[in-house]
Amino acid sequence: MRLFIFIFFFVSVSISYSQGNCNAFLWQKDTLKYKACQLIENNQDKFYQFDSRFHKLMNEALEICPYYAYPYRELAAPYVKSGNFLMWKKYIDKAVKYEPKDHLSVRASLRFKFFADFKGAIKDIDSLSSIVSYDIGYSSNGTYHLNVVKGLCLKSLGRTDEAIAIIAKQSEIEDDFGMYNYLHLGVLYMEKEDYKNALDSFEKQSNINNLAENQYYAALSNKNLNNLTKALSFLKEALKLYRSEQRMFDPYNELIDQIYMSDITREIKSIEENIK
Amino acid sequence: MKNILLVLIICMLLTNCDLTKEKSNTPEEKPKTVDGISFDKTKDDPNFKLCNSYVYQYFNDSKGLIYKGDKPKIEEAFFNQYNSEIVPKETGLIRIRFTVNCKGEADRFRLLGMDNDYNELVFDKKITDQLLNITKSLKGWGVKELREKSIDYYQYLIFIINDGIITKILP
Repeated sequence: MRLFIFIFFFVSVSISYSQGNCNAFLWQKDTLKYKACQLIENNQDKFYQFDSRFHKLMNEALEICPYYAYPYRELAAPYVKSGNFLMWKKYIDKAVKYEPKDHLSVRASLRFKFFADFKGAIKDIDSLSSIVSYDIGYSSNGTYHLNVVKGLCLKSLGRTDEAIAIIAKQSEIEDDFGMYNYLHLGVLYMEKEDYKNALDSFEKQSNINNLAENQYYAALSNKNLNNLTKALSFLKEALKLYRSEQRMFDPYNELIDQIYMSDITREIKSIEENIK
Repeated sequence: MKNILLVLIICMLLTNCDLTKEKSNTPEEKPKTVDGISFDKTKDDPNFKLCNSYVYQYFNDSKGLIYKGDKPKIEEAFFNQYNSEIVPKETGLIRIRFTVNCKGEADRFRLLGMDNDYNELVFDKKITDQLLNITKSLKGWGVKELREKSIDYYQYLIFIINDGIITKILP
């Protein structure tokens, strides 16, 4: 059931991520945008984003309609994926300029995800909040609600209490919908040495989306409480989950609070030596 | 397993790592790649050979960065070898992008820098030379495959530098 909900959600995100129905621009009496939209719609699927012909197409659309945000976002896309912060920023800023309500969320998500630009991401999220009256929505790839993105940025800037407040609130709203919310919340509580709330959060995460990470951090919490046998048991479960690839993963970059096999084996070794 | 499945679904739906579109870009067609790296005889090793005519991106196989010992091994190399005491207190991001061939060998390293406001910045050579040399010394890059064929791919590392000190390594 949860898998179905995730699929439904990401289908929805994917639809909203496309340029939309070109006829909408006709109804708005914007024939330039309509023509540019049609050009893209008829040709976009022929090329991969990294193909220079894809870029030529987007530039042709911009020649027809220089204030159309969508081609700018598409021109920016391969650059963010190749880590080219300069070219990405040049294009994404234009998309934000022409359609801030649609693109502040994209720029915020990508600043956070690809360039660890936590201050910039918070600024974009706050700007978006100030200009819309509806829910600010999810990150551009749908992994997190933007409130959670803001919370993770605050965490990365050392503002732990603010991070806990915003992620706890959003996690309650999303309940079991957030992929990693309770894991991040648990790690934040751990950083505050609040192991009771940390373990409660890891337990919630294991019921929603059980990962090597929540087992690993539950082990660390128990270790800090001097429950070494329990910690070892959590680590062994973490190892099992890691080996079965039930762990945090993103094809582009490392996620916050993500762990590796070496983290688990190091902790197992350390605890086993202490138990002896 | 469920997570991997979810990530794949996300990727396919958002076309972020949509390989179906790659079909129109078969190596034979040799499309010009955005942000591609061409051989430069003043910088590159002439003995470094690509195995194919098309160079993919590191995420095209949906497996992300692959390095022997994972990312902690890369971080270990930089945090152990980079000496921040001999460099000026510059701040910003440095990208080193390079090509990994079908044997896991790396070359064609390229530098890009910016300050914290996304303005281009050429960092002091005391910083960039160290980063380049350590990057060149990394020998654990994974061999990637697509459609049962070993591929060449672009990989990058981004260093977040604060007052000359490496504070984070991406991706």
